[in-house]
Amino acid sequence: MVLVLALGDLHISHRAPDLPAKFKSMLVPGKIQHIICTGNLCIKEVHDYLRTICPDLHIARGEYDEETRYPETKTLTIGQFKLGVCHGHQVIPWGDLDSLAMLQRQLDVDILVTGHTHQFTAYKHEAGVVINPGSATGAYSSITYDVNPSFVLMDIDALRVVVYVYELIDGEVKVDKIDFKKTTTTQVAH
Amino acid sequence: MVKKAVPDWLNSSLWYPPPSSAARPGSSATNAAASSSESDAAPPDHSTETVPVPVPLPPSSAVRAEPPEVEIRDPLSDDSDNGASGSPTSTAEDISRQAQILQELSRKVINMGELRRLASQGIPDGAGIRCTVWKLLLGYLPTDRGLWSSELAKKRSQYKHFKEELLMNPSEITRKLENSTSLENEEPKCETGGVLSRSEISHGEHPLSLGKTSVWNQFFQDTEIIEQIDRDVKRTHPDMHFFSGDSEFAKTNQDALRNILIVFAKLNPGIRYVQGMNEILAPLFYMFRNDPIEEHAAFAEADAFFCFVELLSGFRDHFCQQLDNSVVGIRSTISKLSMLLKQHDEELWRHLEVTTKVNPQFYAFRWITLLLTQEFNFADSLLIWDTLLSDPEGPQETLLRVCCAMLILIRRRLLAGDFTSNLKLLQHYPPTNISHMLYVANKLRSHPAR
Repeated sequence: MVLVLALGDLHISHRAPDLPAKFKSMLVPGKIQHIICTGNLCIKEVHDYLRTICPDLHIARGEYDEETRYPETKTLTIGQFKLGVCHGHQVIPWGDLDSLAMLQRQLDVDILVTGHTHQFTAYKHEAGVVINPGSATGAYSSITYDVNPSFVLMDIDALRVVVYVYELIDGEVKVDKIDFKKTTTTQVAH
Repeated sequence: MVKKAVPDWLNSSLWYPPPSSAARPGSSATNAAASSSESDAAPPDHSTETVPVPVPLPPSSAVRAEPPEVEIRDPLSDDSDNGASGSPTSTAEDISRQAQILQELSRKVINMGELRRLASQGIPDGAGIRCTVWKLLLGYLPTDRGLWSSELAKKRSQYKHFKEELLMNPSEITRKLENSTSLENEEPKCETGGVLSRSEISHGEHPLSLGKTSVWNQFFQDTEIIEQIDRDVKRTHPDMHFFSGDSEFAKTNQDALRNILIVFAKLNPGIRYVQGMNEILAPLFYMFRNDPIEEHAAFAEADAFFCFVELLSGFRDHFCQQLDNSVVGIRSTISKLSMLLKQHDEELWRHLEVTTKVNPQFYAFRWITLLLTQEFNFADSLLIWDTLLSDPEGPQETLLRVCCAMLILIRRRLLAGDFTSNLKLLQHYPPTNISHMLYVANKLRSHPAR
């Protein structure tokens, strides 16, 4: 039972001052084992804050990040799953499933976490699952101003992943979940 | 006037070995009776071979043939210092006591009064006798032998059920709930591509939930207690291979201790886990795990759990902080000890409490809450527990008498010492002859029993 937090595109302090208070009250240290961040934090203070929630932090570089030394892509293994992170501005067209699937095959991961579009999506295709946690602060994106703050928490348990989607809609936190299993025989995520 | 006289019985020549006939007036009569009932011509060492005890215990007869000193060391071979427990009782008496206990245990309905009387003299170490006797004394096994197997099976399966229910993590719990509610619901099978469907969560159950009734929230709150239990379990008896070290064996034992304490903490939200409970659990689990009967040793965890609950039930209030100052709390028990000392040895009491101002809380707290497990080596504390568990007055009263005896035995040194030396002495109690100490404790009874 491993809890992995996936979030990104916070754009603090350029486009948003801080995470919504309701999100902050939920993100307490001690519960989460790993954090995956798609990038665009953008300042060091946000990095430090995420560190306090969980010491194991994986960040990919977004185009507005002030820290230049984050990698473009990163992969890690948690339990039976391989996860990959990439900010997503490098993949053109932005947010296109087929192009992201290409990246996923390149990185050879089961779950690919990308951002940049500031919209939550979760796609499944032959090579695996692509998750976009959206923007945790609701900052406007290059595409649209209408953004709901959102992030994702994954509960990885052997071959099963439960993805909890946290969205702030009209000032209330709404939580949904998505269930999927990995089949070991074929690449098809089932 | 202060009573200056040392009690007579303390100074009597009874203490000096080996007055086996006089040391235990109660048992000497039975000893004589037993040996006379056995075959007349046989010398004492072989008297047991001819005892007509209808107990089919093949391992024990082999054990009996060996001299008892080896018998005492074997099950407790990982303790380095066994010196203090080498009591001056003769081998014949030990053997006959074992025979009597075995005889009592082999009856169809066990006479608890008789068993208590025999056990209070000390239970011999061989043949798993202590395991069975402790289980009977703690009420885990019923007195009717015929019911033993059904009771044991019931309790053991109950413990297994507790474990399954309480030691599950929230992922598994939520999965179980879903499986039971949505068996017919389609799983997103055969979706080769496209957006994954989102589904509602039930009852607001998500990992970051801060709700009081949330399974996840409770899980994270429990992790604190579990961490503390973990830390204490790792520190239990670091000198014994049974409990500590890197071996597989030690790890499984530690896991068993941890499980028992976690299940106890979850079943008793009022008291949860308090540091020290691991010390009370350790001898119980050790004894049951080393039961020579394979079948019982395999279920040592379940047996130890129930016996632990039973043993702790008499002392629960000592662990509850809110009850500290109440009539049932630890302070009140300590003052009872103080009064007991005053009653039996006023001079010593006055010297300790008034002259040197050694507050009994400084030493008696650990003696009482941990049932003397920390004051003596492991083997000795088992002997003390024999007496504590078997005494009809109840473990708490007996414990106070034993503590009082501990004080009286070192009275000369205490009377000569000041605050610092007395405190040091009492917090590191010197090794002593345990049977002597238990005899003195026996003598302190207010209603002289036999």
